[in-house]
Amino acid sequence: MSAVWPVSRAAVRRRRLQTVVIGVVVALSTTMIVVALGLLAASSGPFDQAYARQSGAHLVASYDQSKVSDSQLTDAAKQSQVEAVAGPFGLATLDLNMGGRPLPLVVVGRADAGGAVDRLNVWDGRWPDKPGEIVLNRNPVTSSNQRGAATLGTQLTTGGTTLTVVGFAYSVSESADAWVTPDQMTSFKPTASQMLYRFTEAATNAQVSAGQSAVTTSLPSGALLGTQSYLALRATATGEPNTFVPFLMVFGWLGLAVAVLIVANVVSGAVVAGFKHIGVLKALGFTPTQVMAVYLAMISIPAVVGCALGTVLGNVLAESLLTRAFENYGAEGVGVPIWVDVATLLGVPLLVALSALVPSLRARSLSAAEAISAGSAPRAGRGLRAQRWLSGTRLPRSISLGLGLPFARPARTALTLAAVVLGVTSVTLAVGLGKSLTTYQTAASRAGAVDVTIFAGMTETGPQVAPGGAEPDRPVAKLSDPADEALLRSTSGAVYVTASTDQLMRLAGTKQDLRVSFLRGDSEQIGYRVLEGHWFDGPGQVAVSERFLRQRGLSVGDTITLESKGKSTQVKIVAKALYNSGEEVLSNWETLALIAPDQRASMYEIQLKPGTDIDAYVKAVQAGDPGLQEVPGQDAGTFIAVVLATVILLTLMLGTVAALGVFNTVVLNTRERRRDLGMLKSIGMTPGQVTVMVVTSMAALGALGGVLGIPFGIIAHRLVVPAMANGAQVALPDFMLDVYPLPLLALFVLAGVAIAALGAFIPARSAARTTIAEVLHNE
Amino acid sequence: MTDAEGNEQAVVRLSGVRKEYGESVALDGVSLEIHAGEAVAVMGPSGSGKSTLLSMVAGLDRPTSGSIVVHGEDLGSLDEKGLALYRRRRIGMIFQFFNLLDDLSALDNVALAAQLTGTSASNARQRALELFEELGIAGRRNTYPAQLSGGERQRVAVARALMNRPAILLADEPTGALDTRAGEQVMDLLLDLNQIGQTLLLVTHDQQLATRCASRLVEVVDGQIARERSLERTP
Repeated sequence: MSAVWPVSRAAVRRRRLQTVVIGVVVALSTTMIVVALGLLAASSGPFDQAYARQSGAHLVASYDQSKVSDSQLTDAAKQSQVEAVAGPFGLATLDLNMGGRPLPLVVVGRADAGGAVDRLNVWDGRWPDKPGEIVLNRNPVTSSNQRGAATLGTQLTTGGTTLTVVGFAYSVSESADAWVTPDQMTSFKPTASQMLYRFTEAATNAQVSAGQSAVTTSLPSGALLGTQSYLALRATATGEPNTFVPFLMVFGWLGLAVAVLIVANVVSGAVVAGFKHIGVLKALGFTPTQVMAVYLAMISIPAVVGCALGTVLGNVLAESLLTRAFENYGAEGVGVPIWVDVATLLGVPLLVALSALVPSLRARSLSAAEAISAGSAPRAGRGLRAQRWLSGTRLPRSISLGLGLPFARPARTALTLAAVVLGVTSVTLAVGLGKSLTTYQTAASRAGAVDVTIFAGMTETGPQVAPGGAEPDRPVAKLSDPADEALLRSTSGAVYVTASTDQLMRLAGTKQDLRVSFLRGDSEQIGYRVLEGHWFDGPGQVAVSERFLRQRGLSVGDTITLESKGKSTQVKIVAKALYNSGEEVLSNWETLALIAPDQRASMYEIQLKPGTDIDAYVKAVQAGDPGLQEVPGQDAGTFIAVVLATVILLTLMLGTVAALGVFNTVVLNTRERRRDLGMLKSIGMTPGQVTVMVVTSMAALGALGGVLGIPFGIIAHRLVVPAMANGAQVALPDFMLDVYPLPLLALFVLAGVAIAALGAFIPARSAARTTIAEVLHNE
Repeated sequence: MTDAEGNEQAVVRLSGVRKEYGESVALDGVSLEIHAGEAVAVMGPSGSGKSTLLSMVAGLDRPTSGSIVVHGEDLGSLDEKGLALYRRRRIGMIFQFFNLLDDLSALDNVALAAQLTGTSASNARQRALELFEELGIAGRRNTYPAQLSGGERQRVAVARALMNRPAILLADEPTGALDTRAGEQVMDLLLDLNQIGQTLLLVTHDQQLATRCASRLVEVVDGQIARERSLERTP
C-alpha cells in the first residue's frame, strides 16, 4: 500500500477546500456528539459515586416521638427489604443565632459520623464528643463561597444554650443541617426521631415507596411526619444536564447526518471528476483495491483530524457543563467517560469512511479504458424534459437554466437536498425550542400579568427582593397593610392587586428550606396558571410546582406538614401551578392566619389597565405612601438563557454545516461545468447572470428542502421538548408545544433558501469570474 | 459601413495590441484592420498567438496594452458586464469542440443566445428554426448534442453564433475536430455566409480552409504579424 499514501496525500492537497469543509463539518458534529453522550453518560455519575461512598440513605424519615417509640421504630425496620438502617436519632428544628438573625436548622443527635447508613465525611475539625459542641453540614467544595458563614470555634446560641462549632461534615443524603451529641439532643427535648434506611431495591420511586411501606406499616397512624427519597435528591442533581441531553443528542445526530451526506457527496464528486485520474492510476498498475484505498484515505485524513479536534472541544464543553452541574458533589475531575471518547474516535471516522465506501467502490470497479475515456461532464439524457420545459417558460433564461441544473446530477442533488432538509430541520427545531422556552419563561414569570411590583418590607426570606438595600425584616411602608392595599387599588390605572408575604418553612422530615408565599386579594388574576387541581379557596391549602411534586414524590391531593418556628401546620396540595421553583410553595392569607396571624404584606403585585403610564402610577402611589418602593422587573432565568444560547450556537453550527454542504455541491458542479460556463459567457451571459443561474440552482433546492425539513423539525420538537421538560422536572402544558404559526413556517422555507443561497453564493461568484479563454482552450 | 467621406470603415481595428502572460509574450504589438464583408484567416504555428488574437477580438480576454475597437466600440472601456453585452450583440463564436450544452436540445442551444438578450422563448425558437432550415439541419432540431454527428454539432454551433446577427463571426479551428467530409460542409457554410456579407475572422491550421473561405491571410509568428496577403479563393 506504500503507493497509496503519496497519491492520497496529493489528492488531499489538490482538494484543499473540500478537505477543509469535511474537517470542519466532522469536527462540529463530533463536538455535539461528544457533549451529548458525555452528559448522558455522566449525568448521574458524580451523585451516584458520592452517594455510594457515604452509603447514603435511600429514605430519610422523621417520626413523631409522641406516637411511636424508638424500640417500635427499630423493630419495624427489621424487614427483608431493608439492607441497612441507622437511627433512631433525636431530631429538633432549632433557631440558632450567630450574632444576627436566627437560622432555623434541623439538628440531629448522633454519637458518631460513621454507621451503616449516611457515613458522614467530617472534612474539617472533629465530631462533637460532649454537650455544647456542634458540627455543621457543609459541602467542602462550595464552603469557600459562603461569606460570613460560621467557622471552627464560632459560637451559636439557641434559647439559653451555647454551642461551639467543632467541625464541618458533609451528608450527601442531606439528613440534617447540624449534628450534636445524643446527650445534647436530649436536653433540647426533641419531638421527632430520624431513621435512615437503605433498601435492597431502590432504583425506582415504586421500590423506594415499597420499602417505606414495609418499614411503616406496623407503626401507629400519624407517626410518620415526613420522608425524603434519595431519588428526589438525584433528580435535582441531574436536572440540569438531563435538560441539555435531549436537544444536544438531536443536534449531534443531525450534524453527523449532514457530515455523512457531505462526505458521500465529496467522494462521489471526486470519483466522477477523477475518472481520468482513476484510469491513469490503473494504467500505472494500481490494483482496484488500491484505487479504492486512495479515495477512502483521501476522506479519512480530514475526518480523523476533524474528529480528534471535535473530541477535544467536546470534552472541554462537556466538562464545563458537568462541573457546573455537579460541583456540589465534589465532582472535581468530572468529565466525559473514556468510552465516549473511544467510541467517538473510532465510530465517527468509521461512519465517514462508510459513507465514502459506495463511491469508492465505483472507482474500484471502473476499468482503466472506461475511466480514461469517460469525460467529467454529466452524461447526456438527464433531466432533459425538465430543461426543455424550462427553456419554454417566460422566466429569464439565467433563472430557467439554473432551475434545470439540479436535474443533471440527480444523486448529488438528492444528497444536497438532504443536507438542506437537515439544516431546515435544525432551524425549525431550534426556533421551536426557543419559542417553547421563552413561552414557558413568560408564563412562569407571569410577564404581562404583573405590571408593577411594590415592595413594602417585612419579608423573612432574604433581601433579594428588597430594592435599594432595604432591611428585609423592617417594614419600609409608612401606612398599614390594609391602607396600602386600599391606596394601590384606588390609584388610577389599577385593575388587580395581590398582596403577599413570604415565610421560611420546612417540609416535615426534610432539611430543605421552603419559601411559602401567602397571597391575598386578586391572586387568581395575576398570571398563575393552574395545570392540575384548583386554585385555593380555603385555609390549609397550597399550590406547588411540578418540580416540587416530583422531587418529593407527591401528587395533587396529598397532605404535607409545614414547620416554622416550632409550629407545624398540615396543608393540602390543591393545585399544580406553572412556575419553576421546587422550593417555593404558594398559599393564601387564610392559611397564613394559622401560622402568623399578625403578619403584614411585604409585596404587592399590580396589574394595570392597558396604556397606563407605569411611572405615573408608581409616583401616585408613592405620594400616598413614600415608603413603598418599586421592584425592578425580573430578568429571564439564567438557565434558560444558557439553553437558548446553546440552541442558537448549535443552530448556527448546523446551518453553517448545511450551507457548507451546498457550497461543496456548487464547487463540484461549477468545476464540472467550467466548459459550459465558459461557453455561456462567450455567447454573452454576464457575470451577474452566471451568479444568478448558479444561486438559483441551489435556491430552488433550498425552497424544497425548506418544505421537507419543516415536518421533521416539528417532529423533533415534539420529541425533544417533552424530554427536556422531563429532565428539567417542569410541567409541559400544550401551549409550549404549539409554537409554529403559519407565517413562521413560511419563514422556515425562506431559511432553506437562505442556507442554499449563502452556500452557493461564493462558488457562484467564483464561477462568474471564470476566465473564458482559458476554459474553452482547455479541451 | 463607411465614414463621412465615404471610405470603408473597419469593423475590427487592433492597434499595437500586446498581451503578456506572466513573463511570456503572446502578442507583441499587433495592429490589424478587418473591414465589413471581409473573411480573414489567421494562421501560424502552435503557440504563435493566433488564438490569443481571436480571444482579444471576442472580448474573452483583455490586452496588456494597445486598443481594440469593434464596430465602433472600444473594448478597453468596457467592464465585465459591458464585455458580456458586447459578445451577446456584436459577435458570434464557433469553437473547435462546438461547446454545446449537453442537456439542451439543438434548437434550445441555439435559441439560448437570443433568450439571453431578452427575446421570448417562442420568438427565439422561431428564429432558431429559420436558421436550422437555412443550414439544412431542421430535421435535427429536437436532437441532443450527444446524438449529433460532429458536422451537425458544428452547424448547430454556427446557427447559435448567427442567432443575434453578429457584426463579425469568429471561428477558432472550426474544422479541427471534424472528419474531411464534415469539414468541407462547414467550409462551404462559412463561404456561403461570407458571400452574403457576413464578416469572418478564422483562426486555423488548415491551409485548405484558409484558401477556400478567406479573402485575406494573416500569418502570426511569435506574437507578431509576420505576413499579410490577399487570397484568391479556391473552389
